[in-house]
This record gives sequence, C-alpha cells and structure tokens, in this order.
Amino acid sequence: MQSVYRKFVCVVCNHIYDEALGDPETGISPGTKWEDVPETWTCPDCGASKADFEEMK
Amino acid sequence: MRVCIVGSGMAGVGVAEELLKVAPTTEVFLFTSDREGYYSRPLLSHGFSRTDIETRIILKKFDSLQRPGLSCFSGCEVQSIEPKEQRIRFRQDGKTTEQSYDKLVLATGSEAAIPAAWNPYRAHFRVLNSLADLMELRRHRGEMMSRGSQVHWAVVGGGLIGCEVASDLVKAGDRVTLYHVVDRLMERQLSVEASARLLAHLREMGIEVRLNCEVSAFGTDEKRSWLEMAKERHEYDGVLVATGFRPRIELAKAAGLTTDRGIVTDAYLRTSDPHIYAVGDVAQVRGEALYAFVLPVRNQAVWLAKHLVGQVGEPWVPPVFKPMAKIHGFKMD
Repeated sequence: MQSVYRKFVCVVCNHIYDEALGDPETGISPGTKWEDVPETWTCPDCGASKADFEEMK
Repeated sequence: MRVCIVGSGMAGVGVAEELLKVAPTTEVFLFTSDREGYYSRPLLSHGFSRTDIETRIILKKFDSLQRPGLSCFSGCEVQSIEPKEQRIRFRQDGKTTEQSYDKLVLATGSEAAIPAAWNPYRAHFRVLNSLADLMELRRHRGEMMSRGSQVHWAVVGGGLIGCEVASDLVKAGDRVTLYHVVDRLMERQLSVEASARLLAHLREMGIEVRLNCEVSAFGTDEKRSWLEMAKERHEYDGVLVATGFRPRIELAKAAGLTTDRGIVTDAYLRTSDPHIYAVGDVAQVRGEALYAFVLPVRNQAVWLAKHLVGQVGEPWVPPVFKPMAKIHGFKMD
C-alpha cells in the first residue's frame, strides 16, 4: 500500500522533509502536509528556502 | 545558446540545472576543479558529528550530473577568459583547450581568508573550506584518536563558521578551545544580547571560549600543534583557523573585469562585460553586497537561469532571509 505521506528533498543538502514526521525542532508537527508548511520555513540543515525542495518520487 | 559555467558549487550547478529546466535546448558546459562530485558545502560544518558524511555530502557525481545538454569538465583548471573572443581556455588531463560561449557564468565561490600576518605559518594550521579540507581534517582526527585520548582542538575565529565547527567537534566527542579576537562571538550576525547567549551556550556545551585573544604565531612538530599568544605557547592536537572568506576573483580580474571584494555586477548579476555574469559567493551585486548564504545564492541561481534565457526582465532582488548558523542546540532568535 502506498503511504499517503509524501517526502521532499532539499536540493542543496539532501535533507528530507517527511510529512509523516514533520519537523518538530522547527515547530512543524508530525503529519503536516507540505502545502501547510509556511513559505518562510527554511531547511533546518542548510537554510535553503522551502522553494528549494523537490518532491521525492 | 551556449552557456559556459565556471564552478560546481550550489551556484554553478544551480544555474546549470535550472537552465536545462527552463530551456532544455540550451547547451551548457560546466567547468570545475573538483573531482569527487558536486557536494553540499553547507554540510561541511557537520563534517565531524555525522559519521555518514563522506557518502552523504556528495549530492551528485559529475557523471550523474551530466545529461543531454549538460557537459561536465571535472578536475580541470580554467586558465583564462578572453572576453573579446568570447571564449575560455582550460586545462584538463595535461591538455589545454579553448571553448567558446555566448554567455559565461562565473561561480568560482570563495576560499578561506587568512590574515596576512599568519601567512608565514600557513603550513601549521588547517582550514575548513572545501571537501578536500574536510577529508584531511578527518584523516588527522582519526590519527589523533588512534592515540587513545580525547582530541583537543584550537579553533581560531569566533565568527559563524568557527562557532559552527567548534560545536560540531564537541558534539563528535572532542575537546575544543575557541579563540576570538574581539569581545563577543559572531559580532557580524548577532546582537550583543544574542552573542552573550551564544557564549553561554557554547560554554554549556563544554567549549572553552577565549575572547579578546590575538594569536601571533603557529607551529607544529610530529606530535603537537600550537599557537602563540602574548609570548605564551598553547598546545593542541590540531589547530583550525576560521577567519572569514575571500571570493575567488583572480580569473575575472586577469580578464580585465571590474572587481572589488568580489566580482562587481549590476542588478542583473552582469559583470563589466555584457556577456559575462557572476553568481554566488563571488558576486558583489550592484558593486555593494556579497550574499554568501544558501538562501540568496540559490535564489540568484534560479533567477539567473531564467534571465539568461529571457524569461525574467526585472533585476534580481535579494530575498528576505535570516543568516542561519548551524550550531548544535542554538537558535539565533
């Protein structure tokens, strides 16, 4: 079965944002959909913008 | 259109990949002195605490970056630019070749800036500016660890990179003494209050922080490294200097382009030659500022690719961003 959660990868450092896990350290709760992550959120590893993430397929 | 790009950091590779996204018929040639691949420079600061760094830091080998429309020339040195002829001259595998361009993008990045007074001691300390530097530091660290006791480092420079690396070495299990020349840490990025918070945080982590310290000399023998301060010698297993960065402008300068601290560009990232652009750490935009942080550099790369193929006509506007420091457990605001 395919997971309903998607993953996004930072093109600058390969950090993965997994919707299932969110990013609690930066205040994003587990289960937060990518579209609900604020546009001002930045990569916790390298500081790249949300726009610098690509969906992993 | 043929675009030649010099440099394979996030600026150069970013422009190359974006170009092919927005205009797949563009012919892109990427020239780099790197051999290992396109790596994530921001991860260098976590190069000790992450055990998987050597595999993780390489984002793409040059072979896998290559695709129809994008040719990578790795392990090569671009020797000169001939702006009038619109061509560059590069050396690879002992052979010198010319390559013509319609547009040239200089993404040559930056290297460690060392105070001139320390140049005579260059062989006695290390820097962390590239993947090669990291590999050498890790090799040295492994050797020190094999002697059985905790590795003790001096990190000289309490700016952004110095603080990041000090925190990472401690997280990896080493002992660190951090020297800074002025009375507070990261004085360029932080308020007085935040500097004090950072100082407390690093001390809490176990880092010995020494402020207002002017290091006068460095030395090494087979076993130890040391630095001198007010005629006193302090010994360590390794000394790492992190005192800022210097854009690599030599190639541009030799070609007669206008340079200052970086390569001077207008608001369109165009240098004093209309066919040559500069992007990333090396670009001094509008002759004013350098934007040496991930967020604006990525933004420049994406913007420049679109601009080169005529998809955006408005000048590049720096995005709103907060400088970020990757110091374990510390939030800047």
